Amino acid sequence: MQRGWAAASAAGVALALLLAACGGGSTYSNGAGTKPAASTVFTYDTYTQVMVDGWDPATEYSNGIIAMSNMYETLTRYNPVTHTVDPLLATSWSHSPDGLTWTFRLRPGVHFHTGRLMTAQAAKAAILRTKKLNGGAAYIWGAVKSIDTPSQSTMVFHLSYPSPLALQASADYSAYIYDTQAAGSGSLAKWLNAPHDAGTGPYTLQSWNNGKEFEVILKASSTYWGGWKGPHYKKVVFRVVPQDTTAAQLLRAGQVSFVEQMSPTQWKSLQGASGIKLVSSPSWQNLLAQLNAPALSQPIRQAISYATNYPGIVAALSGAAVQSSGIVPAGLFGHFTNLPNYTYDPAKAGRLLNSAGYGPGKKKLNLSLTYTAGDSNEQVVATLLKSSLAKLNVNLTVQPLAWPTQWGKGKSSSPSARQDVFMEYWWPDYADPYSWFVNLLLSEKQPFFNLSYYSNPALDKQINRVESLVATNPSAGSALYRTMQVEVLKQAPIVFLYNTNYQYAMTNTFSGFQVNPAYPNVIFVYNLKP
Amino acid sequence: MLVFVARRIALAIVVVVGVIVVTFVVAHVVPGDPAATWAGPHASAAAIARARTFLGLDRPLAVQLISYLGGIASGNWGTSIHTHLSVLSDLMTAAPASLELVITALALAIVVGIPIGLVSARRPGHAIDHLVRAGSILGISMPIFWMALILQLVFSQHLKLLPAAGEYSPGLLFTHPLVKRTGFPVIDSLLGGNLPMLGSTLTHLILPAIVVAAYPAGLIARMVRAQVLDVIGDTHILNARALGFGERQILARFAMKLAWTPVAAAIALVFGYSLVNTFLVESIFDWPGLGSYAAASISTLDTPAILGVTLFVAVAYVVANLVVDVVQAVIDPRIRLR
Amino acid sequence: MIESPTIAPPQAAVPRGRALRQGLAANPLLTVGAAIVLLIVVVAIFAPLIAPFPGDAGTATNPFEVLKAPSAAHWFGTDQVGRDIFSRVLFGARVSPVIAIIVLVIACLVGVPLGVAAGFLGGWVDELIMRVTDVFLAFPPLLLALALAAVLPASLTSVTIAIAAVWWPWYVRLIRGQAASVAGRPYVEACRALGISRLRIIFRHILPNSITPVLVQVSLDVGGVILTASALSFLGLGAQDPVPDWGLMVSEGQRYFTPDWWLVTFPGLVILMTAFAFNLLGDGLRDLLDPKRSFLL
Repeated sequence: MQRGWAAASAAGVALALLLAACGGGSTYSNGAGTKPAASTVFTYDTYTQVMVDGWDPATEYSNGIIAMSNMYETLTRYNPVTHTVDPLLATSWSHSPDGLTWTFRLRPGVHFHTGRLMTAQAAKAAILRTKKLNGGAAYIWGAVKSIDTPSQSTMVFHLSYPSPLALQASADYSAYIYDTQAAGSGSLAKWLNAPHDAGTGPYTLQSWNNGKEFEVILKASSTYWGGWKGPHYKKVVFRVVPQDTTAAQLLRAGQVSFVEQMSPTQWKSLQGASGIKLVSSPSWQNLLAQLNAPALSQPIRQAISYATNYPGIVAALSGAAVQSSGIVPAGLFGHFTNLPNYTYDPAKAGRLLNSAGYGPGKKKLNLSLTYTAGDSNEQVVATLLKSSLAKLNVNLTVQPLAWPTQWGKGKSSSPSARQDVFMEYWWPDYADPYSWFVNLLLSEKQPFFNLSYYSNPALDKQINRVESLVATNPSAGSALYRTMQVEVLKQAPIVFLYNTNYQYAMTNTFSGFQVNPAYPNVIFVYNLKP
Repeated sequence: MLVFVARRIALAIVVVVGVIVVTFVVAHVVPGDPAATWAGPHASAAAIARARTFLGLDRPLAVQLISYLGGIASGNWGTSIHTHLSVLSDLMTAAPASLELVITALALAIVVGIPIGLVSARRPGHAIDHLVRAGSILGISMPIFWMALILQLVFSQHLKLLPAAGEYSPGLLFTHPLVKRTGFPVIDSLLGGNLPMLGSTLTHLILPAIVVAAYPAGLIARMVRAQVLDVIGDTHILNARALGFGERQILARFAMKLAWTPVAAAIALVFGYSLVNTFLVESIFDWPGLGSYAAASISTLDTPAILGVTLFVAVAYVVANLVVDVVQAVIDPRIRLR
Repeated sequence: MIESPTIAPPQAAVPRGRALRQGLAANPLLTVGAAIVLLIVVVAIFAPLIAPFPGDAGTATNPFEVLKAPSAAHWFGTDQVGRDIFSRVLFGARVSPVIAIIVLVIACLVGVPLGVAAGFLGGWVDELIMRVTDVFLAFPPLLLALALAAVLPASLTSVTIAIAAVWWPWYVRLIRGQAASVAGRPYVEACRALGISRLRIIFRHILPNSITPVLVQVSLDVGGVILTASALSFLGLGAQDPVPDWGLMVSEGQRYFTPDWWLVTFPGLVILMTAFAFNLLGDGLRDLLDPKRSFLL
């Protein structure tokens, strides 16, 4: 009987191994692998669900742009090398001397995936709909008063105040041009969320498996205006792999082409691995701790700023972080290195706390911090902050929450339900410092992203006029940005924890990869050569 | 016989209703705001209020419970807040993957556990017995999330023998696409004659199944050993020995037969236990089953989904116990006469 | 976890002196288990003295020593914020076993009275209690604990409550069997006829008989509770940083697992060792105390 069992089990195992040899090939051994048709499929490995904000290009404001930027296009696209915008759906543009009238010439012969021709009227309809829905980063069109379409390929924008429209049209959110007639007489929002895509981009939606590992699959759009001459990827797969150890293994096995994020030591460990290329690059993304200004007085906020171990954070994140200088990251207009930044000075922090009645030897201060669950860098920083504050008789309770819950709590209408410290990343909607000020520091009646609940009327006035100033007098605009940053640093409603360094890992089976900080984590797969 | 089955079914239904009530009560201690999650990150206060009405969260708790009970009976298990799909359909999508894993693991556990238990029972007190006892205790003491990580590290990364994650190789999606019939990748590839896919699904099953099988294998080995040793001194065994039956035959034909009853009960027990254990390993192996769904529901405070998963697994467990009880009653008349 | 559906070992005298020593010698697994459990208890008590970096079990961090491999300075290496893992593992011995003790005490405090009531009083009391118990037993333990812990704020307290809420039914069943078998005996009827109160019967006859099976069950359960608690902490529902809970340490270490294998390996190994030791102990105790188990040898 035992022999029988053993024989049966042995036979079963042998059969399984035999079948394994037939199928799957050596895809999990190191090396090039024997995946059929591998060179036409680009697999983007991300750690969190891609389409969490719906399928409407007008209101998307989250992770979905990594997929959308391959299905949809904007009028212009930011070029990180030349620091200006390149033509995309618009071939040329000009503006009147007072900056109030902008004329764009559109590219002819561009078709939406629905088959319709992209005309100035269609583009106008898209922009006006985006503006009306007022979701995502729709504020980028805030200056637009009206749009004329004197010809099929000409758009004339009339602005109510000067604004760098060509730059704003290159934004990573709310700047897509899409077919507003795609659903015919039905509801466009419903049609888009079915899901369908109504873009002009090189790829179009093949399938969406909500909540599954192979979440989004795109296929090449045969009618793309750029054509398909030369080597191009024909399919793009977005694969959700929450564990970055698994992601690294998949990369080594050649089963994914690109991994969006992994822990710094994981990334470093891939150095020298065959078939893998590592890219490290500065980004325009910074990690901020927004301090609850109404709840915490200025000395306390400044104390927290001095209690943050900036060099420690940089060391602990092994290359994923760079110390910040002010609000605006390096590489962007408005960045300055000679600002009155805070340094790690526990003694000074202690004195400031004492002046408020807290700190070493005085009353214990209890603070609450929320960060996004699953983000290991945020977790490390929160733990380090807790540790530094504990030495100063401040008890920081750290709570990881899923992003929607964290944000919901921060936006809570009852102030007592809110946190004392809100940790989040920020990056600009277009290549300009304005995004930080208008979203994080402008007074809000109902909290949205200004989660320091900060209100400074003088600063508000400056924020409201800086964009027009930049459009007409760039150097004055730059000086104003400097002044604003000095004030913000002094008032300390936000602690600037660090600037992110992208650490990407990818296979070396393609060329043409370029990091574009204006489109965080986006790969324009069409531009890659397999 | 019929009376016995009817009674057991009635009892099971009572238990299931109790399960629903308990789960409902548990889930409504939720501190977060599901309406806010439903309405999405950009919702205004008005939109959240509309969502609350839409989700029925503004009614009194007792009313919600009754309507929920009625809904369950009629197949409406609510709508998941994070996927916006019907919870039941979400569960139907996710369940096959977990069930495939659990069934494979249990099969593995039985194939390994029973012979080992028999071997151990054959020579009680000897070295091999102690080894098997220690080994099976090790099996039931194993933190399976840790075992999953270690096995993944050793077999996938270092030895490169087995795949790291997923249900099958992604490249095969395009060259040998899987036609979904039952939702079980192994069965579907068999039905479709898709041999490469079949091989891939089987190899991807190996590591997760071994991990989930550790506890049941240990448990079954111990049970078999205990039960066999329990009956080995009985008169009818002595009789069989006197009649000249060989030791192996005695174990197989006589001892094992009697041991089946509690072992079968144990299998029902570990079915439920293992189904929940898969929750711990699914994220590690990127297995798209109930565990991944539960994890997503927990992190988004998706009450209907959490309720749904808990209910689903509990009901599966009750059904498994019911089936085993009835089968045992068929095999062993003593049980239904009790 | 009760392994066979019905357990009601007849009363047995706890062996003393020579009989105990003989029992131990004959059961090497019990001895090993007891020794490891003793080691864990010693470590838990003396952790602040043994640990090289006791502050690391609290809020101390060392950002310039993150993710260092095991070395002479840090036997188990350092974690993602530079804390000494060996020290944290030692302090962890104060976390999981304590949860297990609290859970099982609660389970007994709730389960034993209910079991006595059900078994001794019989009738509708018995039916009611057993139906409710059945409902709770219909959930695989981790599942209900998971659902509970998911809706309570994540903390050690929540995990303890969640697991206790799931574990008490087993004790009801256990004691009910005892109580019912005693309640049916003729001498109990005689006592009642003589006017002796039910309470006295419970305290003089039922409870003393129950000590042994409860003791055995508790020692068998400690391992299971520790595994369940570490699983819940692994899922993020239990202890929060910086509590040196072993399951939490495995969970946090996951992201760094390759190449920094030490964050996950050592805490997980210790969970395994602890559960293993308690299971060995429980097994051995059952063998020792239950004469029906003639295969002690």
